[in-house]
Amino acid sequence: MIDRFKIFNEKEKDDVLKMLNKQFGVTEIPGVLLSRGAERIFFYSGDLDKRGIVELEQTIPIERIGVYFGKFAEDKFRLSIEGVHLLKDQINKNIFELDKEQADLWMSGSELNIETGFKDFLIMKYGADFLGCGKASALKIGNFIPKSRRLKLKN
Amino acid sequence: MKESKRPELKPLFLERMEKLLVEKKDFESYLDILKVVPVRSIRCNPLKISVEDLKKKLEAKGWKIGQPWKKSPDVMIIENDLVPGELGRALEHLLGYYYIQELASMLPVLSFNFEEGEKVLDLCAAPGSKTTQISAKMNNTGSVIANEVSMGRLRILASNLERCGCSNVVISRKDGSALCKRLKKYNDYEFDKILVDASCSGEGTLRSSLKTYSMWNIKTVKNLPKIQFDLFMNSFEVLKVGGEIIYSTCTHAPEENEGVVNRILKELGDEIEIVEINLPVKVRKGVTEWEGVKFDKRVEKCARVYPQDNNTEGFFVSKFRRMKND
Repeated sequence: MIDRFKIFNEKEKDDVLKMLNKQFGVTEIPGVLLSRGAERIFFYSGDLDKRGIVELEQTIPIERIGVYFGKFAEDKFRLSIEGVHLLKDQINKNIFELDKEQADLWMSGSELNIETGFKDFLIMKYGADFLGCGKASALKIGNFIPKSRRLKLKN
Repeated sequence: MKESKRPELKPLFLERMEKLLVEKKDFESYLDILKVVPVRSIRCNPLKISVEDLKKKLEAKGWKIGQPWKKSPDVMIIENDLVPGELGRALEHLLGYYYIQELASMLPVLSFNFEEGEKVLDLCAAPGSKTTQISAKMNNTGSVIANEVSMGRLRILASNLERCGCSNVVISRKDGSALCKRLKKYNDYEFDKILVDASCSGEGTLRSSLKTYSMWNIKTVKNLPKIQFDLFMNSFEVLKVGGEIIYSTCTHAPEENEGVVNRILKELGDEIEIVEINLPVKVRKGVTEWEGVKFDKRVEKCARVYPQDNNTEGFFVSKFRRMKND
C-alpha cells in the first residue's frame, strides 16, 4: 500500500524552523511541509490547505506535492538544493563561499578537501549562486548534489 | 542558417501538406525550413532569477542572447554556435535558472492570462515545459495539478519541476479522461484554467525530432482525434463557468486540430465560446474544410503556426471559454 502524505502540523513545522534558524538564520518557512515515507520532506506553496490535500489525495492518485525540501540528519536539518533556493534570501549563517574552481568541482558532485575547522551543515555559495548544502567534517565537505544536477567537467 | 541531413518524408504526408499549403512557393518554403537546424531557445525561470541577471550571466559566458518577443522578455534565443549539449550542461540550467523549450511550444501557455491564486490543470503535463511555464506565470501561487499517465515520463516531469522550483504543483498519474471524471464525481473540483496539450502525430516537430519522419503514419492521424476529443470533453466538465481552456497540438493534421474543434463546438453548443488568441508570432487561421468535410466557420479563430512563417516548429492552438453549465 502506498503511504499517504503526512502534512506537518504547526508544532512540527516550527521544530524544523527552529533548526533552520539555528543553523542558517532562517526566520520563516513560507509554505506547507509534508512527507511521504520515512525521510524526505517536501515544500508546497500552493493554496491547498491540509483538508484540500487530504481530499485531493482521496480522489486522485497523487505522486508528488511541491518540491523536495530536505531531511532530518543527525539532529540537524539538511536542506536540499531546492530548499536552499527557496530560503536563499533568509540564509545568513554558515555560508561557505567557493571560488570558481571549487564551485565547478562541487557541482560535479565531488566532496571538497577543505579544512573548515568545524563539523556542521554548510550552505555552499559561489558569487550570487547558491549551490546547495554540504556537510563539513574535520578535513572535507561532503557533497549531496543529486546526479541529475551535476556538472560534467571537461577533462 | 545551418542545414542538416534529413530522412525522406513519406509520400502521403507530403501530399497532405501540399493540400494544406496550396501555394507552391509556400510549400517549398516549408520543405526548405525542415532542413534547417532549429534555433536554440530558452525561457528564463523568474522563480529563480530575473531576466536581466540571467542575460548578464549568459552573456558573460560568451553567449549572444536575443529576445525575439518584446512582450515576453523571458524568452531568449542563443544566436551563436554552442558545443552540442552545452545548453543542457550549463550551470545556469542545472540550477534551474532557465528551461530549454522550443519557441512554438511556449505559445499555448502564452495564450492564457494567468492571475495569481488560480486553480489550473495541465492534463498531459510531461515533460513539464508548459507546467514550469504556468508555475512561473503564477509566481508559485494558486494550485496547479500536473497530470501524466506514463511513469517514465512522470519521472522526467517531476525532475524538471524540481529543478525549476515549482512548489505550487501537485503531480498526479492517471489517464487524463479518467482523472477528470474522478475529480468531477468525488470532489466537484473545478479549475479556472485547463491546458489540454494533447498527444498527437507530432507533424510539427520534424525539425527537431528525426524519429517523427519514420513514426508518422495515417492510422495515427485518423485514430487520435477520438482520444483527443474525449480528453477535451472530460476536462471541460471540470472547468468553471467563465474559465478558459486551451486545446493544442504540435501537429498540422486538420483531423487532430480543426476536426476536433469542430466536434467540440457542435457537441457543446452555447455552453462554450471559441476565443481569438493574440500570439507573438505570425499565425494562420484554422482551415474550414478538409478532405471534403466542411467545418464550423468559427474554427478560423484557431491559430496555425507553421515553421516557415516564424523559423519555429509547427503548432496548433485553440482557446475556449465556458459560458454556462449544461
